Amino acid sequence: MRKLEPTPRNIRLLRNTATVSGIFAMVLCVLILINFLQVKRADPLNTPALKMLVERLKSSPGDKQLQQEVRELDLVARKAFFTSQWQVRTGGYLLFFSLLLVIICLKSIEMMKPVIPEPPGKEDDFWNERMLNRKWVAYAGITLIVLSLVAAWLTHNELGNNLQAAASGGAISEEPATGAASPSGSSAVPADSTRADTTAKSDTAAASNPVDGFPTLKEIRANSASFRGFGGNGIDFHTNLPISWDGKSGKNILWKTEVPLPGYNSPIVWNDQVFLSGASDAKREVYSFDANSGKLKWRFTVDKIPGSPAASPKVNSETGQAAPTMATDGRRVYAIFANGDMVSLDMEGKKIWAKNLGLPVNHYGHSSSLIMYHDMVIIQYDQRNAPCVMALAGKSGEVVWKTARNVKISWASPILVNTGKRTELILVAEPSMKGYDPASGKELWSIDCIGGEVGPSAAFVGGIAFSVNEYSKLAAVELGENPRLLWEGTEYLSDIPSPLATEKYLFLLTSYGTAVCYDAKSGEKQWEKDFGNPTYASPMLADGKIYQMDKTGIMHIFKPDKVYASIAEPQLGEGSVCTPAFGDGRIYIRGNRNLYCVGR
Amino acid sequence: MKERMKKLCWILLFTLVVVNGFAVQRFPKPEFETAYLQPQTHQPPPRAELLAVTDVVVLFLALAVTTWLVLKRRSRMGVFFMSLASLAYFGFYRQGCVCSIGAIQNVTLALFDHSFFIPLTVIAFFILPLIFTLFFGRTFCAGVCPFGALQDLVAFRPVKLGSRLNAVLGMIPYVYLGLAVLYAATGTDFIICRYDPFVGIFRFGASFGMFIFTGTLLLSGIFIARPYCRFLCPYGVLLNRTSRFSRKHLTITPAACIQCRLCENSCPYDAIDIPVTGKNPMDKQRRMRNLIFIILLVPVLVGIGGWTGARLHETLAGVNPKVRLASLVMHPESYAGMAEPFEITAFRSAGKPVAQLYAEASSVLGQFYTGGWILGGFLGLVFGLVIAGRMLARYNPDYVPNKGNCFSCGRCVDYCPVKATTNPPS
Repeated sequence: MRKLEPTPRNIRLLRNTATVSGIFAMVLCVLILINFLQVKRADPLNTPALKMLVERLKSSPGDKQLQQEVRELDLVARKAFFTSQWQVRTGGYLLFFSLLLVIICLKSIEMMKPVIPEPPGKEDDFWNERMLNRKWVAYAGITLIVLSLVAAWLTHNELGNNLQAAASGGAISEEPATGAASPSGSSAVPADSTRADTTAKSDTAAASNPVDGFPTLKEIRANSASFRGFGGNGIDFHTNLPISWDGKSGKNILWKTEVPLPGYNSPIVWNDQVFLSGASDAKREVYSFDANSGKLKWRFTVDKIPGSPAASPKVNSETGQAAPTMATDGRRVYAIFANGDMVSLDMEGKKIWAKNLGLPVNHYGHSSSLIMYHDMVIIQYDQRNAPCVMALAGKSGEVVWKTARNVKISWASPILVNTGKRTELILVAEPSMKGYDPASGKELWSIDCIGGEVGPSAAFVGGIAFSVNEYSKLAAVELGENPRLLWEGTEYLSDIPSPLATEKYLFLLTSYGTAVCYDAKSGEKQWEKDFGNPTYASPMLADGKIYQMDKTGIMHIFKPDKVYASIAEPQLGEGSVCTPAFGDGRIYIRGNRNLYCVGR
Repeated sequence: MKERMKKLCWILLFTLVVVNGFAVQRFPKPEFETAYLQPQTHQPPPRAELLAVTDVVVLFLALAVTTWLVLKRRSRMGVFFMSLASLAYFGFYRQGCVCSIGAIQNVTLALFDHSFFIPLTVIAFFILPLIFTLFFGRTFCAGVCPFGALQDLVAFRPVKLGSRLNAVLGMIPYVYLGLAVLYAATGTDFIICRYDPFVGIFRFGASFGMFIFTGTLLLSGIFIARPYCRFLCPYGVLLNRTSRFSRKHLTITPAACIQCRLCENSCPYDAIDIPVTGKNPMDKQRRMRNLIFIILLVPVLVGIGGWTGARLHETLAGVNPKVRLASLVMHPESYAGMAEPFEITAFRSAGKPVAQLYAEASSVLGQFYTGGWILGGFLGLVFGLVIAGRMLARYNPDYVPNKGNCFSCGRCVDYCPVKATTNPPS
């Protein structure tokens, strides 16, 4: 092969080749760029035309012509995309080789030219330069440290401590294994392993005592310790739940036991015990049923409580004397009645303490359910005279904290949520929804968003809390230091059932039996379904399904999804206004007269 | 004006190379039912063992030939063509993997996680260049590393950066190495591979961001020769330190230096040490005092660095998939108003308990806390030693390649008017 001589002609030739090649590469670049931008901007599979066709196809899935149209449009879009892709790729190869040619030409010129050393410049002062080097390196080190510390300060969010606390059974809630609920930290609450100092009056020794302390997160999840399960948020973690039963024929009814006294409180479950309370004008009782056989294990009559009014208050027949659902921490069970009597019993039915909280002035009757936070039982006492929220030490009944509330009478129950930053107790009553620190009772925030005689409790997911009441409105509030109203609606409202929030949707039941699904973030209504029967019980999300009992005893089981899809509608055989409780593979339902255990 | 236009054209040319990176699959499968059956996905067979051995043999031969070209033939042209051959084989044919730079991470992970299997090929790729460097200087960088070869090709107008800028920018590879080791040791990520700027060229495809990075690097490489090798390469740190002990290293002159200073500006990498003949003008007592102060300062710097690194551990751990997932799960408000991150969806569908995730993430954070101390301490030590090292200088009458920084490319050889009559001085 003949060597290319470094003549001016050859050098010119190489230079011109490099120039032409470079211009070609530039043109290619521009073309590829335009092509790329076109492809990037266009989204052929999401064009309005195609979307419209797909939507039409969903409503009439059997339309063959429509199917064909969708396929043809889809094919055109794909062809266009792949052609563009081919153009970009081929252009890329051409670009590469043209640039390679530029490099080869320029390198050849470089190699043909003889090495001409530059004349030596002025010599540097070596030692002075060294000293400056040291300074520059030192400055670089200082800059690195400052930048690191600033980055650490800006990004530090106590993640390590929070994770450690959460991992050791603490402050962060978990979502159900069904995957249908909200991300963790947003739906339920747990016992925090670290107690706030403000709970000075509480029995701090109890926290370190495994027997007298409070249950772990795992224990709480494995049971149904209070109204509407974990944190009172309507989310349950049990699986393998039945969807088919029939109360009349006894299909999948494991047992059925008559409850001695009436009550509208819902069952709670701890290990192999199911607890209920019941009351008449003359008598108040707490019951424990064997979860496996349904046999009444023990019953406790609540009487002779100092300060208890001589006569029971007059209450509405739809509230009764025993509307609040009990709560348990696995060490003790707690019950409250319409006359303000509060009792704590051990798991064998022996009284630990009992007291009267003062007759609640409440024209329908007190109905707010109890909830546990650590070893404290929390009571929302929104009555006419000095409404308040208080926490009693589970072990002694001593008041740990009590916070006055500037609200009207309400019948809603407290919920406990984890906002990701802290655990909050959320209460609703006219005129506001308020957040409290459950450890100290300190009011954290308040937003006026509700009115009337509030019955439904709040719901919470992903930093958004929901409140609703008949003749008022449905409000979604984004929590934070300064909560703000995210959206509101007035089309469907509830006066008794509490709403249920899942990760994406908010499910609402009106007391006349219409189920409505909203987008939790935007408030856009997704669907509505009239069940046809009045409904007082609240919906529960369990095992990836929503269980909604109506007043006639039909359990409407449906998917927590964007489109209403019924799964089953088994019948209990008797009416029910209570929210079901769950165990592994079992559902406990309180009918108007009987307690049922449904299972396979 | 003409020169400016030329530069502008080059800048445009290289910038626009990046558009290639968008040629990626974007469409999901059609949602409607058809009779068409999706072809089954087949896993490509693992690289045959023979080919893996071939890679090691080629690496060894390339190292041997380059070393011979550098030390015996002193041929810049030979080294150049050798680098082209390496670029073709290790770059475009092998598509940049396994490479010695990335092997740092495999070796680190194998040391910290005994369940991680490290192939002998990877060990060979890690060790062989270091062994050659220990004896003959950085001949790997000269003619074997495809990254270096690619950057060498575009170094048309290298400028001198000056010793101060070189010193400061030269600290970056230590930081990069420290981070790469930390992330590999904690099983977080192989950041050297993830942010490999050249693999996109070898494979004709990369993300837009990486192509921008690559384009910028190559463009800057026209004026700042081998920017990746000098101011980023973490393997370069190891080679630099090893090369300082090399017995046989490239020399500028094959015989005695005649102090003509013609080679003074020949090195595009600022890797020629000028003669040190004069004494430090600072008085000896003050010099000693300063040196003792710096030496005593080193442990303090290690402590400050470690403390700073520990403070930064949560930030550093944010890259870890487990920590990131746990943080997302714990702070759903962080993605409020956006689509649910796919990690959350995958996690929920896996059915793993959240508490377990938190426990694992907490454990990883603990590792990062310890790692932050070590990384910070290491960087404090490096800064301290570099500052201390700048206080000392050996007597050196000749122009010699800096054994640590010199890539043994052989450019300076052509500038030396002294021709070899005997063996080059050792």
